[in-house]
Amino acid sequence: MAIGVKVMKRPETEVSYIRATLKGMRLTFKHMFQPKVTMQYPEEKSTGDERGTYTISPRWRGTHRMMADEQGRSKCVACGLCPQICPANCIKLVPGEDEEGNRYPLIYEIDEFRCVFCGYCQEVCPEEAIHVGVHYENAEYNRGRFVYDLERLTAQTHPVSSLWDPTDARGE
Amino acid sequence: MTQELVNVTIDGVPVSVPKGTPIIEAAKQAGVLVPHYCYHPSLPAPAVCRMCLVEVEKAPKLMPACVTTVAEGQVVHCNSATAKKARESVLEFLLINHPLDCPICDQAGECELQDYVFQEGRASTRYADYAKRYNPVEDFGPDVLYVANRCILCTRCVRFMEDVADAAVLNVSERGDRAFIGIDPAQRLDHPWAGNVVDLCPVGSLISKDFLHKARAWDLDKSASVCPGCTQGCNIMIDTRDEVVVRLRPRANLEVNRHFMCDVGRMDYRWMNRGDRIEAPLVREAGSPRLLAVDWDRALARLAELVKGTTGKVVLLASGRSSLEALAWVRRLVAAQSITAAIKVPIGEAAVLPGVPNLALRRERVPNLDGAKLVGYTTEWQGALDATRSSALTILLDAALEEKEVKQLGGGPLVVLSTVHEDWYDSAKLVLPLTSMAEEHGTYINRDQRVQRFTQAKAAPGMARAAWWIAAEALALNGTRGTPSSAAEAFAALGAWIPSLGGLTYADLGLTGRIIEPTPAGSRE
Repeated sequence: MAIGVKVMKRPETEVSYIRATLKGMRLTFKHMFQPKVTMQYPEEKSTGDERGTYTISPRWRGTHRMMADEQGRSKCVACGLCPQICPANCIKLVPGEDEEGNRYPLIYEIDEFRCVFCGYCQEVCPEEAIHVGVHYENAEYNRGRFVYDLERLTAQTHPVSSLWDPTDARGE
Repeated sequence: MTQELVNVTIDGVPVSVPKGTPIIEAAKQAGVLVPHYCYHPSLPAPAVCRMCLVEVEKAPKLMPACVTTVAEGQVVHCNSATAKKARESVLEFLLINHPLDCPICDQAGECELQDYVFQEGRASTRYADYAKRYNPVEDFGPDVLYVANRCILCTRCVRFMEDVADAAVLNVSERGDRAFIGIDPAQRLDHPWAGNVVDLCPVGSLISKDFLHKARAWDLDKSASVCPGCTQGCNIMIDTRDEVVVRLRPRANLEVNRHFMCDVGRMDYRWMNRGDRIEAPLVREAGSPRLLAVDWDRALARLAELVKGTTGKVVLLASGRSSLEALAWVRRLVAAQSITAAIKVPIGEAAVLPGVPNLALRRERVPNLDGAKLVGYTTEWQGALDATRSSALTILLDAALEEKEVKQLGGGPLVVLSTVHEDWYDSAKLVLPLTSMAEEHGTYINRDQRVQRFTQAKAAPGMARAAWWIAAEALALNGTRGTPSSAAEAFAALGAWIPSLGGLTYADLGLTGRIIEPTPAGSRE
C-alpha cells in the first residue's frame, strides 16, 4: 500500500446491532405520531393571510402588482413619483394621454432584478396603484421576463403588502 | 442719477432701498421671500391674493407687501406669528376648492401653491365634508388650456393680457367662490405672446398643450440659453428630459426680455431633437465614389490640407444660428485667402409686446445677425451663392440650402460643416458633424450689441464637435499657435483680432450678457 491506510478490525461476532437499530426506530416511530412541522412545498404554500397553516407576514415585500379600476385599466396616472423615489432606479415610466384626455402611463416597466423591494413605490403612490406583493415565486426561464411591463403587473393576482403590521401600525 | 434711499428693517435685517420700493422687493434684498401669488415684478400689482400680508410696526393691520411701499424707519416682520396665521388662513381658503390632482397636474413640482402649503399651510383640511366646485377644462387658444378648478384667481394672466400684451381677452367672470377666468367668447388667446400666461400662472391652471403630460418638473434638467429665434435674443431656459428638449421657457433678464418670450420662439425647439444627425466625419478619398466615415485625425488633416492648398477665392455660406465663436474661427481658418462670407437671414412677421419697451419678435429670424456682421459676414446671400461659381473652395457652415439654392452652387470643391445630413452632400469633399446650439457653449450678439452666452443643454450625438473646435484644430495643423481647448478660451481669443471684444471673457458676460461698442467698419484686422 502506497499510503498508510489503517484498516479497522471490527468485531464480527460479539456485537449485536439490534439494540442500536431499535433505538433508532424508536425515534422514527415517535416522530410518526407527532404533529408534522415541515411544509410540503410546493404542494403546500405559504399564504399572506392568517388562514393557512404556514403564514407569511402581511408586511412581506415581493414582486409588484398594479391595481386596476372597475374597468380593468390600471389605476396609475403616471405622476412620476415612484421612479423618483425608487432607490434602485428600476422603474421606467413614460407618461401619455388616452382618448379621454386622461394622463396614463404609455410605458411602465419594473426591472425586478434591480428592485431592492424597499416598498417606497407603494408608500409614495398617491393613487394606490403600484403595490409590492406578498409573493415569493419568481422563477423564469429567461432574464428578460424579469422586466415586468404594465400588462403583466396588472395581471398579477397575488395579495399585496400592507407595509406595516395592521395590529401594530406604529411598530411598537 | 442718485435715488433717495430709505432705511428699513425687515425681519431684523436692516436694508437701504430706493424710495417707492414695495416691501416685497425690499424683503428680497434682506433675503426674505414673502409668499405671494398675484404679485409679479413685470406686472402691475393689484393686491388681490392677500398672500403677502406682513406685519408692519405701528400699522393697525397687516399690510400687503406687494403694494405697501417702504418708509423711513419702518420695521417689518414677515414671519411673525400674526403674519403666518394670516397666510395659513389664506392658504386654507385657497384649498377649499383646489382639487387634489397634483399627481396629474403638469405644474406639480414647480407649483407655488404646493410650495407654500408645504411650507406653512395647515396639515389637514377642515372642509372634508363639502363637495368641491367643479368647472370643465376650457380650451383658451392654440397652446393654452384653462383648468378652472385649479385656479386661485391671482389674475396674473388677466393683467398680462390687458397691461402688457395690450389685448384684453381675459377677465374674471362671476363673483365669490364661483369666480373663474373668462375669455371673450368672440376671441381666442392667440396673441403671439400669449404663451407667457402659462409661465405666469403660479398654479397649474393655465397649462401648455405642447408640454401637457410630457415630463414632471423634477425630471427636467435646465440650462441657461439664448433664444435662437430672432435678433432680439431673449434669455431662455432649455428644459431637457433624458437628452430630449421638451420645452423652452423665458429666463429673467430685465434689460432684454424681462420675464417673457414669444410663442414663435417658445415652439421653435423641435429641430434641436432631430434624429437625422451626422455622427462621424465623412471624407471623399481620391478616386472613391462615395463618402467614407473616418476619425477626426484624418478629417482634420484633410481639412487643413484643403484650406492650405487653396489659392483663390473662398466662399463661406453660414447659418445665422452659428455662434460667434463658430463664425469667427471658421472665418479665421480661411483668412489667408480672399473671402466672400455671408449668412442667410430668413425674414418673418414682427410681433411687438407693447407693454415692454424694446421687446418684440423681430423680422430677422436669426439670433446672431450683429455677431456675424462684427466678424465679417454680410447678408448678401444671393451674391455669395453666385460667387461659388468662381470660387476655389466653398465652405458651408450649418446653412440649410433650399433645392433651388443647391442648383445655384458652383462645381468647385465643397466642404460641409453641418448638424444634419442632406442627400446632395454626397458631392462634397468633406462633411463634418457639428453640434447644434443646444449642444455647445457659445455666444450670440443681439440687435442691441449685447453679447450673451448660451450653455450646453444636451449631449452632442456621436462624434459631433463645435465648429470653433474644428476650425481651431485645423489651424493648429497648419501651424497656428494658441489652440483653444474650451469655448471660453475660444471666445477669449476673439479679442485678439476683433477689438470690440478685447478683454471680454465668459466670466464678464455672466448669464445676462454685456453690451459692447460696435467696431466701426474698416478698423477690423
